[in-house]
Amino acid sequence: MKLTRVLVVEDDVDIQKVIRMSLKLRGVSDVVLVETGADCFERLGSFTPDVILLDVMMPHMDGYETCRRLKQDAATREIPVVFLTARVQKADRERGMKLGALGYLTKPFDPMTLHDQILALLKEHSAKNKEKDGAADA
Amino acid sequence: MMAERNILDSLGSGLLVLDARDRVSFVNRTLAEMLHISAEECVGRSAGEFAVLMSRFALPAALPRFDWPEAFGSRDIEWRDGETLRFFREDSAPLSAANAAQGGAGNGRVFAYHDVSHEKAVDRMKSEFISVASHELRTPMTSIKGSVDLILSGFAGETSPEMQELLEIAQKSCDRLVRLVNDILDLSKIEAGQLKLNLERLDVTEIAVRAICAVKPLADKTGVRLRVDRPLPLPIVEADPDRIEQAITNLVSNAVKFSPPNAEVVVELSSDNLWVQCAVCDQGVGIAEKDLHRIFGKFQQLSEGRRRGGTGLGLAITRGLIDEHRGSIWVESRVGEGSRFIFRLPIAAPPSPNTPALAGQAAKP
Repeated sequence: MKLTRVLVVEDDVDIQKVIRMSLKLRGVSDVVLVETGADCFERLGSFTPDVILLDVMMPHMDGYETCRRLKQDAATREIPVVFLTARVQKADRERGMKLGALGYLTKPFDPMTLHDQILALLKEHSAKNKEKDGAADA
Repeated sequence: MMAERNILDSLGSGLLVLDARDRVSFVNRTLAEMLHISAEECVGRSAGEFAVLMSRFALPAALPRFDWPEAFGSRDIEWRDGETLRFFREDSAPLSAANAAQGGAGNGRVFAYHDVSHEKAVDRMKSEFISVASHELRTPMTSIKGSVDLILSGFAGETSPEMQELLEIAQKSCDRLVRLVNDILDLSKIEAGQLKLNLERLDVTEIAVRAICAVKPLADKTGVRLRVDRPLPLPIVEADPDRIEQAITNLVSNAVKFSPPNAEVVVELSSDNLWVQCAVCDQGVGIAEKDLHRIFGKFQQLSEGRRRGGTGLGLAITRGLIDEHRGSIWVESRVGEGSRFIFRLPIAAPPSPNTPALAGQAAKP
């Protein structure tokens, strides 16, 4: 499995740049940056990412609400969402995971391992799906 | 007597006295007004009847039972009166020794109800402020740490040895800042009584092994060996595994920081009829007797700790975590002979038939 297309939803432009560079460092060619939840939905009309990297504290529509809407919409439901947020408390993490996110990473993150952490989550998700499909076939 | 009654009625706090037979013998005007009845209507009621009266407003309503008659007690209660929510601290104490001498053993108890709504509101605001400040600080820290890490990785081109050294200083300081923000957030939650424990029945041995694995990379840097010593199987305790791991990790990483190269840090686990005990023992520099009393205070780290990137809050947090589990923690140390940080957790009551078994046991057919 390879990570090639990432949609980053993050309202802090400096953090956007750090995320893009840390993913580029590991060969992720297609990193699209947007600043709001609304922009995220607009961009998904023409871009299908391997994963959405989602901040929580954003103006107008926060990351939780964005995730909830992504998981409600049949067109976006299957796109894996990983939170990347400064909200580090247990209750925040539980809230994010309950909304159907694949993972919950916290800031500050290690730019050298961000790619590997996301990939590990995607692989785990894919393995679980295969297991589920196998069980359904049986 | 009338003057005394006037004094007690004028107090801003509610007062209740139960006699030796657990009957209400006195209620002051403040508490009667809180209950919307007269003080006279309260007198003579049993503790159980009084608890029913309280239950219209208070949560928890029941008066606490004291199996140990000399015990002092304190708890917070919510007081709902229509739309108004207030918070009270209920302090209770056995009646004084002077009264006991007159009336023999079991003289009843006195309860005082102090309105702490304002303190609660201030606590909540303080907690919210720390929580928001912690989130806000993380955003610039993410940019700084991310940028420095990326430059150090060589992503932006080669750096001279001097640049490399300066960037490593910035990186180390940023990591320390992150730890400090995390610790302040943890401590503020503990101090505000907002730490939510996810209690499980568990064996502390597994937690100690996990903590040692977490600290191993730090220990490897100076060749310090880590070992868990558990001569006998331990009884089960009821604890939050993440929080106990955090406490042991704090103690072990402290022990490593203060140990000379190639020394050994041992986590000794033992138990008696009441407690499971965990002692983290090092062969480090030890602590002077004059410093022992302040070692669990906030920002009371010794100079060596600061030099090694400590935040000065680790032991205060560890003590808070152990206190939250109704345990106790202390230190034994001598300069030049190392230190033993010891904590105890109460052994869990036997599981009821409905309590799920431990994960390891549940897997067995």
